[in-house]
Amino acid sequence: MIFEKRTERIFLAIFFTIALCIPLFLEENSFFVGKATTILILAVFVMSLDFLVGRVGLVTLGHALFYGLGGYLFVILTPEYEAVNFWVYAFYILGLNALIALVIGAVVLRTSGIYFIMITLAISQMAYYYFFDSLEFGGNDGLFIFMKPETSIFGLSFLNLDNPTHFYYLALLAVLVTLLAIKIILRSRFGRIVEASRLNPERTAALGYNIFAFRLISYVIGSTLAAYAGLLFALQYGYVNPQFMTWEMSGTALVMSILGGMGTIYGAILGTITYEGLLYLFEHLSEDWMLFMGSAIILMVLLLRKGLAGYLEKLLEK
Amino acid sequence: MSRIKTLAGAVLATTLTAGLSTSALAAAGDPVKVGLMLPFSGIYAQLGEAGRDGLKLALKEHAEQLHGADIEYIELDTEAKPSRAPELASSLLNQHEADFVIGPVHSGVAMGMIKMLRNKDTIMIIPNAGSAAATGPLCSPNVFRTSFSSWQPSYPMGKVALDKGYKKVYAISWNYGMGRESLDAFEESFTAGGGEIVEKVLLPFPSTNFQSHVSDIADENPDAVFTFFAGGGAIKFVKDYDAMGLRGKIPLLGSGFLTEGTLQAQGDAAEGVMTGLHYAEQLDVPKNRAFREAFNTEYGHYPDIYAVQGYDAGQAIANTIDQLEGDISDKQAVISTMEKLTIDSPRGEFTFSRAHNPIQNIYLREVKDGVNVVQSIAAEALEDPARGCKL
Amino acid sequence: MSTELFFVQLINGLQYGLLLFLIASGLTLVFGVMGILNLAHGSMYMVGAYLVWYFVAVTGSFTVSAILSAVIALGLGILIERVLIQRLYNRNHLDQVLLTIGMIFVFNSLQSILWGNDPYGVAVPEALSGSVPFTDNSSYPVYRIFAATICIAIAAALYFVVSKTRLGMLIRAGESNREMVEALGVNIKSLYTIVFAIGVMLAAVSGIIAAPMRSIVPGMGESVLITCFVVVVIGGMGSIKGAFVGALLVGVISTFAAVLMPTMSNMIIYIFMILVLLVKPQGLFAK
Repeated sequence: MIFEKRTERIFLAIFFTIALCIPLFLEENSFFVGKATTILILAVFVMSLDFLVGRVGLVTLGHALFYGLGGYLFVILTPEYEAVNFWVYAFYILGLNALIALVIGAVVLRTSGIYFIMITLAISQMAYYYFFDSLEFGGNDGLFIFMKPETSIFGLSFLNLDNPTHFYYLALLAVLVTLLAIKIILRSRFGRIVEASRLNPERTAALGYNIFAFRLISYVIGSTLAAYAGLLFALQYGYVNPQFMTWEMSGTALVMSILGGMGTIYGAILGTITYEGLLYLFEHLSEDWMLFMGSAIILMVLLLRKGLAGYLEKLLEK
Repeated sequence: MSRIKTLAGAVLATTLTAGLSTSALAAAGDPVKVGLMLPFSGIYAQLGEAGRDGLKLALKEHAEQLHGADIEYIELDTEAKPSRAPELASSLLNQHEADFVIGPVHSGVAMGMIKMLRNKDTIMIIPNAGSAAATGPLCSPNVFRTSFSSWQPSYPMGKVALDKGYKKVYAISWNYGMGRESLDAFEESFTAGGGEIVEKVLLPFPSTNFQSHVSDIADENPDAVFTFFAGGGAIKFVKDYDAMGLRGKIPLLGSGFLTEGTLQAQGDAAEGVMTGLHYAEQLDVPKNRAFREAFNTEYGHYPDIYAVQGYDAGQAIANTIDQLEGDISDKQAVISTMEKLTIDSPRGEFTFSRAHNPIQNIYLREVKDGVNVVQSIAAEALEDPARGCKL
Repeated sequence: MSTELFFVQLINGLQYGLLLFLIASGLTLVFGVMGILNLAHGSMYMVGAYLVWYFVAVTGSFTVSAILSAVIALGLGILIERVLIQRLYNRNHLDQVLLTIGMIFVFNSLQSILWGNDPYGVAVPEALSGSVPFTDNSSYPVYRIFAATICIAIAAALYFVVSKTRLGMLIRAGESNREMVEALGVNIKSLYTIVFAIGVMLAAVSGIIAAPMRSIVPGMGESVLITCFVVVVIGGMGSIKGAFVGALLVGVISTFAAVLMPTMSNMIIYIFMILVLLVKPQGLFAK
């Protein structure tokens, strides 16, 4: 079974049940459906980061580069006033992104530890500066996506991306697929070697495995999942801006994943919901919301040794 | 049986939708919902707070123009982050059903807001972001601006430089929309009159590593320097310029933000700096004097341009409600009323251009004894060309 | 570029680099000895700047304000270490990252509450406000020369403490083998508190020194943080000598890049860092 822990199964069962029903209760109020959609999209991004940081052992502060690229590649590759096919272009974009991740990964994976963190940060910042300075790509004002793509497969279309509810379900599907994909990869032989190389690189290498190759492939997978999340994020409101690729965006995702419980993957969903939930609560509570947010984060770090998932597991696992 | 079902369905549907009314604009007697999307934290917080304070003062002063309606404020902190802009705008539009959305300060956030709000059932008033696109290619009937377009404060400075006999000017700013557009505007009028831009330097935004550039300016020795910087960058640039001994040797000209809200921090270093802006704190206009005192009484300190712009957004709202006698349920009527307004602003009266940008005077100011003193009107009733706007 | 301009820019670059060293020294010291990655280091720089501004406004004397601010920062460092950092020694690096990010939020919020969001400036102290004639057209501010001198003095003091005193010996021992130091009966807890507090004070002092040369605005901590990390990584995490060399290199390179290729100048530093890491993956003076 890919969901081994009882806590995991319980959480996911509750999560998906509620998530499936949300639009039914909020039909008319498209703001909350939109907000929930954004949280789901972020959860995909954070899960991809959790995979890289928590399981593969690659702590990257440049993950948002791919998040931003997902949206920018869409704007660059598609004509301005024509609705393209979503699936076809998602394929192109993810493919192109995977290539970019391959090239970047081949360079950065030569370092490790704090140096890896810094080099990934540097690359994402340079990309940010590039898009910020470039007039062709909108510069610091960003770019609009005027026409949302259509979603027909062999002529049959059942999702209209202009409809917030449909978009919500597309995002939920993305969460499910990402979760399953990561879990299956981790359970596979590939996944176990990757984890072994995190836990004990010397021994794994001594067994004859090319750790660099395994890590590179994992890096490409994680980055491509992030790009998919970024594509959805850009399409939701039809807007891209270089700020989507800054180290602050990467840092926020890292916070969500650590908060949720590093490495648990389902914890990433929990962490995203909790962070966004607390943010919404505090912002509406007080102008000094940052003080509450910071204190909440500090408290959670001090009290929850293994994040929220760790805490839940302590309660529920016998 | 099926008729009961239909009836039950109708009752259910009615009760469900009754509480979720989607009429976005209030009828007479309902509170007027004013949503604010401004930065209240981070580097632009000062501008966000000033805009909000000005807005609220205007609506308080003009309370009788509201025909009995209360104002309900919804304040959202944008943190000047474009990634949150569409979501926050959606909150104001769809969740809170705001009649007016005031914001933002930052141009990137403006783009995200406009994407969400243009041609929708609300009126957006920009109290600061100067990006050309907002009243250019992306202009919309329901988007107004009570601040400026990036072109306006800088364009007249070209003629000012020519009149003073400067032939060679060194231009420097940050490499982003406002910076580029300001330098381009200056260049447009300056070169048209025969001037030469000897060097045009665009620094990465928001770098404040000016030391090397100031040394470069000294080495280049132009007739004058034209710049756009704002906030902390403006403070540092002016101080660095002075510290290197260039003040008084090479005249420093700028878009007015160089000396707005920064004079106290700049101290003596700002003496003699000449800037162009659509306002000056000592402007000899009765409305300005009254406004400044009222603001100081209310908030305990004197206002700057950012507060004036927020104040005028409030005046625009109040005047519109007044002319429509409290009934703002017809969005078209609101737009056509607002379009025709003459705002009695502390900067002098202004009207809106067809792209909904203020047609306003640009004043030439010089810093004397820590105050921006108005020397002349650099351009009267200057209208932004609104290139690309199809209104 | 004329030789005169070259010389001027070199001075500018070195002076900037010296200030960068001062900011980065605390970060690398704390990481080297304690293994703590303090992301709130930039916030300490900000606290120093705001404190000195506040006290100058109240007392009118830069010297008094500087000393007062430094002492408060030292106390703050001790407090933070005792209350928060101490609890994380046995936790993994990422928890430390999360805690210090939470601290950034808290400090930014406190700055806004205590001192407001307007941009501030600190006037250069009277005695140091002159300039030395430099080129035909420009003169070099005395204060910048003073600041550079202070940075050199502190660098020398750090070198002296680390290599010639008992505390320094403990620091060096703790850097290479924490458990052994503990096993030898040294009160590692006190050592850590002192080291962390010194790190915080160094950051605050750099904020104090820099205050008259820049504007004091919200977010000023985050804007130096990245450059700080770049310097430390180039030099080698934990190496003060590395931070010194790294800082001077970054200072000079970014100064020249700013005039030679202004639009790309922000990328140059990252490119330089990547090149260094590709050749020496642990930094120039790695331990």
